[in-house]
Amino acid sequence: MPEETHLLEAGGIPKKRKSGHKKGRKTKKKVNAFPGAGEKIKIDNRMRKLFRKRAREYDSDDDEEEEEVAASKDDNAVPLADDEKNLETHGLDDDEPEVSDNENEEEDDEVHPGIMKFTEGVRAFRTAFQSIIKKSVSDDSLGPVMSAHKNLVAEKLAEEETERKAKGEAKKEKHLVGEKGHVKPANYLDAHEKFLISVATKGVVKLFNAVNKAQHAQKGLDASRSKDAKAIKKRRKEAFFSELSKPSFSSAKTPAKVQSSTGAADSEPPAWAPLRDNYMLTNSKLKDWDKMQESSEPEDFRRGSGDSSSDDD
Amino acid sequence: MARFGNNKKKAFVKPVMKKPKPGNVDHITGDKIPKSFVFSRGKLPGPLKQLEMDLRKLMLPYTALKLKEKKRNNLKDFLNVAGPMGVTHFLILSKTETAPYLRVARTPQGPTLTFKIKEYALAADVAQAQLRPRSPKDLFQNPPLIVLSGFGTGEQHLKLTTIMFQNIFPAIDINTVKLASCQRIVLLNYNKETKLVDFRHYSIRLQPIGVSRRIRKFVQNHQVPDLRNLQDVSDFVTKAGYGSESEADDEAATVTLASDLGRVNQASSKSAVKLQEIGPRMTLQLVKVEEGLCSGVVIFNEYGNAADTKRQGKQKDAEDLEDVERDGDEGEEDQGDDEED
Repeated sequence: MPEETHLLEAGGIPKKRKSGHKKGRKTKKKVNAFPGAGEKIKIDNRMRKLFRKRAREYDSDDDEEEEEVAASKDDNAVPLADDEKNLETHGLDDDEPEVSDNENEEEDDEVHPGIMKFTEGVRAFRTAFQSIIKKSVSDDSLGPVMSAHKNLVAEKLAEEETERKAKGEAKKEKHLVGEKGHVKPANYLDAHEKFLISVATKGVVKLFNAVNKAQHAQKGLDASRSKDAKAIKKRRKEAFFSELSKPSFSSAKTPAKVQSSTGAADSEPPAWAPLRDNYMLTNSKLKDWDKMQESSEPEDFRRGSGDSSSDDD
Repeated sequence: MARFGNNKKKAFVKPVMKKPKPGNVDHITGDKIPKSFVFSRGKLPGPLKQLEMDLRKLMLPYTALKLKEKKRNNLKDFLNVAGPMGVTHFLILSKTETAPYLRVARTPQGPTLTFKIKEYALAADVAQAQLRPRSPKDLFQNPPLIVLSGFGTGEQHLKLTTIMFQNIFPAIDINTVKLASCQRIVLLNYNKETKLVDFRHYSIRLQPIGVSRRIRKFVQNHQVPDLRNLQDVSDFVTKAGYGSESEADDEAATVTLASDLGRVNQASSKSAVKLQEIGPRMTLQLVKVEEGLCSGVVIFNEYGNAADTKRQGKQKDAEDLEDVERDGDEGEEDQGDDEED
């Protein structure tokens, strides 16, 4: 099979050679025909003759294969050179005639166009390659562009650039809108944050102390026994009020201080009911809790101000 | 193939509707537990979506953490689900050109408080700003405490805000509450001059007082201490640590515990209360109070116009004029409401 494919490939070349002057179209065809698209190309008699003649030149049968390979190499080399020349003609018009001259010479040497000796094929390739190497590339932002429409490419690129810029700006704007109000906190605590923490801490401390008092009182009593249950109920209330009444007398200064520091001059009681100094003490009767132990039935003290009816409004 | 036929013949059994679980009610105190939905109206940008997620975490455990919302869901859909689920509060985030908005509403009747979010920082931002962000496993297993401060100016809308936020988390019974369940605190601080509400979320930590840092860490960590540099074991106890024991002198932040808490906090000894922010952080401005759920009569408007014009309109008995004016005002000031329905 390798022989056959070589033949096919070789057959493609002379066909192409016939239309020597139309180079632009030729390259296209070549691309189609070259990579093993052998079925389309007919093996004409002339080619067959040629190969037979070449085979005769080498007298041995063993050499025939080698010759074939060499020939195929030749054929490969030529289109390559041709290819590059084509590219070159677009880029550099000055070099073209020289190269083509070379080629013409080569063709003249041979009886059959398209087949040339190994050394000559290499030479053609070399000249073409050298002409490319010699070529000075202009210091363009685009780099080497092997196209006649160099300006068009540049224009397109510039257009793309502006488009991308506009898109980026739009995206940035959208991002800014989305980030509106988003503030990254500083990694230190400023005065305001410290104040807020102190307020929250005060709330927690007050609650914990109240819980402590309430739960401490009922220690050692069994809620299941009715006698103890009564006592618990009584004590709960007492302990809770005693706890709450304490800070209203002892630490009355501190909250006022804090408030004044923030600008709120008048000592407004905090809204959270347990934070208020007079929490659950608005009823004056309850102030003297220790004197009237037979007070009303116990209730649960909730975190809120305890008015569940307020939900309705 | 025969199997399909069999399946088809099976009589349709009506699924038994379960009655709402008693989970709506606290099993100790018997109070109704408030539950909440946090969702958004309209499309939110990335950071606000994150804020929504942070708010859901803050509202844990009585909230829908993975609430799915679609574009076509309207307020009624949420309301329909809220009834059977026992959801009592809605926190609704929305966004306009000017600012993001947060609406806190009670279901199903209202009222609705509309806050303009002046500034906000996500929990992630807060954690990033800290040297050692703290996130214990059971942090979000219990509802937070809430502290409202500075709201007692006597104004009606502030009173309403107070009530609203007091009831958004379950109440605790002082006699039965376990201190270990108090892990977080939500603070709302009203600044009277700027009329802004600072919304903060802290985690509560208790530390024994009078114990050197070294020993505290030793008890907490269960790790063999490094004694290489010490001459004697007693040095480990007696030798003072670094000089940064400044926390201890803050008298106001000390409590005596009712019961032992964790490994280090004994009931007998005193403990210091330490708060560390966990975020999110918001600065809110109360813009509007509506009587219904995102609808109804405007009770309060920060910009004042709507309420004033309404009153004037009533006095003049010129209702048509009033309507026109009100519509105009609302259009100007509250684009956030346009997204509804």
